[in-house]
Amino acid sequence: MIYNPFPMRVVSKREEAPGVRTLKLEFVKQEDHEFFKANYRTGMFGLYGIFGEGESTFCVASPETRKDYIECTFRQSGRVTTTLADADAGDIVTFRGPYGNRFPIEEFEGKNLLFIAGGIALPPTRSVIWSCLDQREKYGNVTIVYGARTVADLVYKHELEEWKQRDDVNLVLTVDPGGETPDWQDHVGFVPSILEKVAPSPDNTIAVLCGPPIMIKFTLNALGKLGFSESNVYTTLENRMKCGVGKCGRCNVGSVYICKEGPVFTAAEVSAMPQCDL
Amino acid sequence: MSRILLKNKLDDCIAAWRSAGFSVLAPVRRSDLSRFDEVERSADMALDLVLPERTIKDHFFPQTEPLIKYKIKKHDIDSQEMLPPDMKRVFFGVRPCDASGLAIDDPLFGWDYKDEYWFKRRDNAVIVTIACTASDDFCMCTSVKLDPDSTKGSDVMLRPLQNGNGWQVEALTDRGNALLGPVASFLQEGSEAPAPVASVPVRFDVDRVMEWLADPASFESHFWKEISLRCIGCGSCTFLCPTCHCFDIQDEGDTFSGIRRKNWDSCSFAMFTMHTSGHNPRNTQSTRWRQRIMHKFNYYRGKFGVNSCSGCGRCTRQCPVDMGITETLQAITNLPK
Repeated sequence: MIYNPFPMRVVSKREEAPGVRTLKLEFVKQEDHEFFKANYRTGMFGLYGIFGEGESTFCVASPETRKDYIECTFRQSGRVTTTLADADAGDIVTFRGPYGNRFPIEEFEGKNLLFIAGGIALPPTRSVIWSCLDQREKYGNVTIVYGARTVADLVYKHELEEWKQRDDVNLVLTVDPGGETPDWQDHVGFVPSILEKVAPSPDNTIAVLCGPPIMIKFTLNALGKLGFSESNVYTTLENRMKCGVGKCGRCNVGSVYICKEGPVFTAAEVSAMPQCDL
Repeated sequence: MSRILLKNKLDDCIAAWRSAGFSVLAPVRRSDLSRFDEVERSADMALDLVLPERTIKDHFFPQTEPLIKYKIKKHDIDSQEMLPPDMKRVFFGVRPCDASGLAIDDPLFGWDYKDEYWFKRRDNAVIVTIACTASDDFCMCTSVKLDPDSTKGSDVMLRPLQNGNGWQVEALTDRGNALLGPVASFLQEGSEAPAPVASVPVRFDVDRVMEWLADPASFESHFWKEISLRCIGCGSCTFLCPTCHCFDIQDEGDTFSGIRRKNWDSCSFAMFTMHTSGHNPRNTQSTRWRQRIMHKFNYYRGKFGVNSCSGCGRCTRQCPVDMGITETLQAITNLPK
């Protein structure tokens, strides 16, 4: 049972940024869909694949409040992602999951939310963002700080526009110095320094942080300076995986298996791991 | 008095088990490495080996095994699991370390998500273990708190008789009892004394090893770099290990049809943890060697309450650069407190 994936039909695909695509997938079999609906919570991941090529691990980018389909967003970089990127509407790909733990968003209720993402790490953050925005009344202020190397590298541009228009979301966009276009109206600078500039209050606030390791490292410093405690900062870790179910033996950081105990951790939990194994 | 199986009755037992639908596997010599393979008569068995070079793990978690066969049409996928068939197998002449190895891996393949490929092979296998009366310079079962006559993972225990004519027979499980049914008439009561078990010296202090590994400061110790300098990352130690279970999943075929397979993989290999981005959390041989030792004597115990080592010593016996776990654990034992 555990290695045989669900067949998924590609409903549509969207070019997000150079080399980055989103596939919207629907379940071919009713029982697979029922399983997903019963088990998926925001933060969990899956193995997406094409027979003959293999499987790749990434998050479920769609929220737990919208379980009729799965969206996945990935950068075309290897054998599997190149084939997935070529899939067209109607084609069949595969999905295994949902696996791993989740963001405990019911514990976030009544609190302010600060989402921070860098580059291609908006997809896992976006799953939590929509899971909360779809139940907007349960949460306090929502701030989203998102940065990419260049304007072109920002993903989900249509949704960034939508969040910008909403008066119940404070969207802070930034691109790295040199990545701006002449008509760029938002911030220029790295995420950690822009975060310090915007200086969201740590009071009654949960931070959700996803990004490349170097960004996480400096952003955690910035959050510390702003007064956030490590137990109120959530992040995700990623490692190479083959099985996704705690057997193939490679995704551990120290004794912690990302596929079983993660991928969602508090910054306090990440700090307790051997840093040189990350 | 105890039940005795005489060596001259072994062929009768093999025939009886075979006619009861069992295949009988035993250590055999092969031109490359000695291993467990199917036998039809006792003369084919190499029961004099201290330990076959390959483990019985091969028959439960094969080097490569098909998981799924798939067929793809334009808008349709048919994927079927390729579970192993029901096999009634007797493993005769297993050493206690190999039998323990199976028991050590059971919780890993069984936790949360059950790996049917392992358990289909485990469920109908009967492990007939022979206690060791000989050992070599690499055996280290006593160092990991097992013994040359440990019963862990065994269904039937055979203890060689002092006079060399046969074995004392003890069924340890229901499965073992059931196996002895068809051969009851070939067993006899006897009072011959069993031969003393092999004397295997304790080669390192596993408690001290576990204590040192559990200290967070040890993780970044320079120790790992020095101790692993000779390691060439060949992976032999992992492939010959009765408890190493790491695997890769690869597709064999094309975009129309083929087979998805589970293959042995090794934490010794750089590609094992390499990200697509090029980032590799364990990017040097020393970090990979640390992972191997930590996994066996710290992480695994944290999850499943047991060290992932049964002391067979193959990792050291077969290492092409004469390195192995024993040397590392001895060095840890000897570190100043």
